Formats: sequence, structure tokens, C-alpha cells
Amino acid sequence: MRRVAVIGVGVTKFGLHDRTSAELFAEAARDALNDSGVPASAVQALYYGNVVGGETEHQLHTGPQAASVLGIPAVPTTRFETACASSHAAFRHAVMEIAAGVSDVVLVGGAERVLNVSTAESTEYFAYASDAVWEQPLGLTFPGVFALIARAHMQKYGTTEAQMAAVAVKNHRHGALNPKAQFQKPITIEQVLKSAYVADPLKLFDCCPFSDGGAALVLASEEVARKHRKPIWVLGSAAASDWMLLGDKRDLSRVPATERAAAAAYRQAGIGPTDVDVVELHDCFTIAEIVATEGLGLFEPGAGGRAAEKGLTGLGGEIPVNPSGGLKAKGHPIGATGAAQVAEIVTQLRGEAGPRQVEGARTGLTHTLGGNTATVLVSLFGRD
Amino acid sequence: MTEPAITARAFFEKARAGQLTAIRCSSCGELSIPPRELCPNCHAQSWQPVMLAGDGTIASFTVIRVAPRAHAADVPYAIAVVQLKEGVSLLGRIVDIPLEKLVVGLPVRFRPLIAKDLATSVGFGPA
Repeated sequence: MRRVAVIGVGVTKFGLHDRTSAELFAEAARDALNDSGVPASAVQALYYGNVVGGETEHQLHTGPQAASVLGIPAVPTTRFETACASSHAAFRHAVMEIAAGVSDVVLVGGAERVLNVSTAESTEYFAYASDAVWEQPLGLTFPGVFALIARAHMQKYGTTEAQMAAVAVKNHRHGALNPKAQFQKPITIEQVLKSAYVADPLKLFDCCPFSDGGAALVLASEEVARKHRKPIWVLGSAAASDWMLLGDKRDLSRVPATERAAAAAYRQAGIGPTDVDVVELHDCFTIAEIVATEGLGLFEPGAGGRAAEKGLTGLGGEIPVNPSGGLKAKGHPIGATGAAQVAEIVTQLRGEAGPRQVEGARTGLTHTLGGNTATVLVSLFGRD
Repeated sequence: MTEPAITARAFFEKARAGQLTAIRCSSCGELSIPPRELCPNCHAQSWQPVMLAGDGTIASFTVIRVAPRAHAADVPYAIAVVQLKEGVSLLGRIVDIPLEKLVVGLPVRFRPLIAKDLATSVGFGPA
């Protein structure tokens, strides 16, 4: 297998946009191509993530549409849908295409537009990623899924609402340092704890926002990447799945797909959790960050809440998590999120993250979770 | 060609009549909620339907306060993962239990939730 590098990144501002998801992707892809220095003519494939285009934009076939709006209509293009992990799945397949020697330059990206519909509509569309026969008819929502996980974690380990609030406060503090973030204002523990319940025990400020946005990456083989100013190497990229129905999951306080994907990615890279300097992980809800830090092996099962409360995951802490602000503050345009997380880690490993830079970061990790925890991807990155 | 031991449609028809049905692997004994072609434990293809008593305890629960459009009129409502005494778990809507009485470990009992169009989903009420 050949080595693969990320040589270009581009991310739009996240938040409300008056443009289609294809336009948002195209802006990010233009920036990623310019950042890479490779001409658009060198791109041999586009792997694209988009989730609810059919619902919010009445748009399917979003892969070639995105390629057309970018201006590279002839490249083979495939759209990936693994709920919120879609563009991380696209990324992993692009890595495999280059590693296998099929292509030398592949564009990866994703975009989503949801703020053109009401919160009630987007809540319903996101719920389509849970089971349509068994779960949607009950009125289950995504905050509801993670509320069930939160309650199980609180019951088993004594995790508190204040510990979950600490995750929100930390990620907003980081987001305030990121000019692309949807929310760039620090918040307090009291604000989180006083916000209204959405799905008990999760409150409004435990939840990431609905967002519009796009992200893109240029991936290249080692031969092409060596000509780039600062290639960031893909050390490993793994996916795992788990039961779709919540009732089939044996222990709601853990996410087995995170544990399996992490183990596979660490094995590919030949490193372990203590080698990682900076992490971008899937904090769609505050409890999701706590459970992910445990599943990735950064902390023991049950210790994630206390770690967050002690500040171990903040910038300057033992292991900085979500320096971008995470989904919570940076925003969560679901089709773009996986690619945007990679863009942040690449920026960190290049040493170009400005005020949110993790000093001396050499090894980074991205973790993206799809829907009801039935899909997880984990990738590892390193610099020369 | 053999028919599946029990389809989702058949499960909900029996559920409408008040009966929860699971399937047991004839090879290894694994109990599962249908539909399923292969036993997830041993990959055998030999299921037998079994009746469940409908008794269980709350493993986790939430109170939904922001709902999808179709359920907006119901808020606030509770949804729970219920571990049935036979070992399998099911997600269901909590009915006829005050929200403030909900705790992990509370005994509950299956009851069908039947909509006007006869669409049936899983509910749990007082034991």
C-alpha cells in the first residue's frame, strides 16, 4: 500500500448561508485546491459527503452536482451517506483509492444546508438516520438518542450535568479563537445549566447547532505530496459499525464502534492513544465528547466526565480536544463535518492554527460518529 | 426458499393484539428481536418464534421536549430503553407513568400503542 498525504484544505465559515450546499462545497474545494498548489486538472476523483440534500434542497445526485458547480464535471464522483460521518467515510475511501495505486490526486469533501428549513423539519430529517419502523414512530430525536446514552453514563459512572456543561464551555472557549466557527462567544457553566431541556438530561447548550457549511481536502500519493510545502501523512483510517436499534446495543454508556475503529486505526499507524497530541472528535452533544474520549482510549471508561471538568481536554491541557470549537461551537453541517475535522488537524500539524494552535503537535486524530452510533470513523495523522 | 421466522409486519400485528414476539436461534439459543436472517452470534439460519412476557425494567430514559413535526402535539413525552426479563431490550414510549416518577430500574410492562390508522408501536406502562 502506498503512503497518502493531505496537501490541501478548505473550509467555509459555518452558520447560516444563502447558498446551496453545492456552492458551499465548491468554495471550500477551490480553497483546498489553491492551498494544495495542484491544478484542478490533476484531480482524478471526487468523494463527497451529503446527508439530507434530498429533504432540505430536494436534491439527490449531489456528487456530480457538486463537481459541476466546482467546474470539474468529468471526474468520477460518488456521494457517501453514513449520516453525520459521511465525509469521513468519503475520506477513508479516497485514502484507499490512492493507497491502492488507482489515483494520485483525489478531492474529498462534503456540504450540508439545513438552515433554509425550520428546526422542526430538520429535527425530523435528522431522525431519519434512526430506524423508520421501530424508532421514528416513537418520536425519537437525535438529542433523545444521546440523552439515553447520557442517562446510562450518569447511572453507571456518576457523570454529572455540570461535567457535561464543562465540555460545552471548553468548546465555546475554543470556538472563540476560530474565525470560521458558527459561535465565537465564550459561555459559562451557569448558562449551560440554566438552558432549557431539549431531551432530559440534555439541555439546549449541550447540543451542537444546525449549520450550513462546506469543507474539502486534497489527498495525494507520496510522489505528488513530496512536492508540497507541508504534506500531512495519513497514518491510519478505519471504520466500524454497530447495531442500528438502540434496544440491540448492550451497554448504552459505551460506543463499541468508536472502540473498534480506534483500535484498528491505532494498529494501522503503529501508535497508541498516548502518542496523540491533538484530537478533533464528534461532540454532537456534550456527552458524546465524554464517551468518545473514553472510547478512543484517552481516558478510562467512566473517567471522561471528570477529565473534562478538570480541564484536561482544553487548550494547554493534557490532551487538547476540539481546538476548532468542535461541532458544539464551530458548527455541524453534517455532510461537511468529517472533512472539516481533518482540515483542522492538518492545520494544527502544519503549525498554522494561530491562537488555537496546540504547541508542537506532531500527531493528530479525527473521530466522526454517524447517527445513532451505528457508524464511526477514526483517522490518524502525522507530519514529517 | 424459506420464509423468515417473523417479519416486522407480523411482529407489529401480534404486538397490536398485545403479544411481544422474539426469535430464538435453534443452533445456539441466542434471543433476538425480529426481523433477522442470520443469528448475529453463530450465523445459523434457523430461528424459532418465542413469546415474550412483556415485563421489564427501564435501562435508560429521556423526556423529549423538542419533537419531530409528527409528534409536536405530544410533548413532553418519555422514551425508554426497556430491558425485558428474557434478556432482549426494546425502545418504547412510556405511557401512564408520571414523568417525575421515571427512574432507571423502574419495572414496566409492554402495551401496544395503536394509532388511528392502526399503525402500532411499542409502549410501556406501569408494571
